[in-house]
Amino acid sequence: MYEIGKREFINLFKSFKSITIVVLILTASFYSAKFSRLFEGEAKDFNGTDIQYLGLLVLIVLFGTIFIMSLSHDTISREIHERTIRFLVTKTSRASIILGKFFGILLFWVICLFTSFILIGIFTQRIDWFIFFQTMSSLTFQIALTILVSVLVPKPMVTMFLGTLIGILFPILGFWLMTTERVWAVWIKYITPFYYLEQPNFSFLVIFLFSAILLLIASFILNRRDC
Amino acid sequence: MKAIETKQLRKSYGKTEIVKGISLTVEQGEIFGFLGRNGAGKSTFINMLTGIIHPTSGSFSLLGMEGGDNMAKKYIGVMPDYANLYGSLTAMAHLKYFSALSGKPAAKAVCMEVLQQVGLDEHYNKKTAKFSFGMKKKLGIAQAIIHDPELVFLDEPTSGLDAESVLHIQRLIRDLQKRGKTIFMTSHNLNEVEKLCTRIAILKEGRIVQSGSMDELRAAFRSTINVNIKHSPIPASQQESLHQWLEEAGSNLELNDGEITITVESEQKISEMIRAFQQCRVEIYRVHVKEPSLEDIFLEL
Repeated sequence: MYEIGKREFINLFKSFKSITIVVLILTASFYSAKFSRLFEGEAKDFNGTDIQYLGLLVLIVLFGTIFIMSLSHDTISREIHERTIRFLVTKTSRASIILGKFFGILLFWVICLFTSFILIGIFTQRIDWFIFFQTMSSLTFQIALTILVSVLVPKPMVTMFLGTLIGILFPILGFWLMTTERVWAVWIKYITPFYYLEQPNFSFLVIFLFSAILLLIASFILNRRDC
Repeated sequence: MKAIETKQLRKSYGKTEIVKGISLTVEQGEIFGFLGRNGAGKSTFINMLTGIIHPTSGSFSLLGMEGGDNMAKKYIGVMPDYANLYGSLTAMAHLKYFSALSGKPAAKAVCMEVLQQVGLDEHYNKKTAKFSFGMKKKLGIAQAIIHDPELVFLDEPTSGLDAESVLHIQRLIRDLQKRGKTIFMTSHNLNEVEKLCTRIAILKEGRIVQSGSMDELRAAFRSTINVNIKHSPIPASQQESLHQWLEEAGSNLELNDGEITITVESEQKISEMIRAFQQCRVEIYRVHVKEPSLEDIFLEL
């Protein structure tokens, strides 16, 4: 598991796409923190969220899924498609492959997000750990979802298309669910992370549970699959 | 403890049954050859044992551990058929990665030693994207043995290799056996299997149609024996009677100057033939009995 995670993590840092996304997130954090100083005293709080983090949060919530999907949509599907997975499944358990991939991708995003928070912290002189873990829960869910898609669909070209589609539609669905009053749709919001992200308490921890469920489903499917 | 034990192992894809209830046992320290024509189910069988695919029914154990037990993976090495390497990794990086995955991280010196064993030591720092088919095959074997497994599965280990490399790999397989390892291999090269394997199973349409040591297979298929005898000139007075005796003793009789070739049905006939020659005062210089080769047996099946 550790080796798979390490390789996944290193590979993410090697790609041009990932470097571009990291730069984008860091730039958003920098300017978010810089411009927030202009409104100091006027807008200390925005819907329970420090305004310094607003740019970064909007970026993660709106584009997090598409960022993660674009970088890792083929994390499992490419191994299946190119049959490199045959070397992996003969050496370690399939659950270890899923977890290794998950933690490798997660570590990449933890470092990316942590760096962003440090950057913001330099301007604000403090780091809001609550928002950090809240954002992390959202990223964790998106990573688990990406892995599930990559296990479900063994063709990288299809996962790329699906990843883009989910990346665009998922936040739209989330925001629609938050605003809709249709009775038949209300219950759906409880099974998406957006509802829990909106709450100013620790209910975002439920999102970690959702992520674990997605990983369990991915592991179950990979366990049953012939490679 | 058996190295491999399978009980009624089956694999179906939809309504097509590829492996039709195979039960076999492989003892530790054996080189077991698995033979069969294309599509006979050899790779499917190996893939089930190595956890690449799941059996539809039946059970198996590897080194006493139940099939599917992840613990067994530490003790087995697999060179699967139709598996690609990571093009962006070097040969050395592959071995380091795979040995660590197997739970026994190999030091650089150990990796070099294994690369040397398969004849890839000069290419240790080359990315596998630049490797030829044969080089990839060799690295496939190297990764299967890097963690010093007790049981090694090799699916077509020498196909596509040049003659020198084939000998190199065959030597390596023998060395592994000398070190007490069990090898389960498939091959299209019948001579190779005959030369290397202590026991062989022949698969046809998903079923084992014959198995055993080479001698056992020969015994099962020895319906006729070809004998070639070089001898001194036959005295003119004995020629007719000896020819008559030989015609009755066997078939496909060919008489050349000082040499006869005949097909007989039992080994007993050979000794009778030698006695007949001696009674006719004919000296025998050489007797050559042609045993049925694995190829003969394979083609007969």
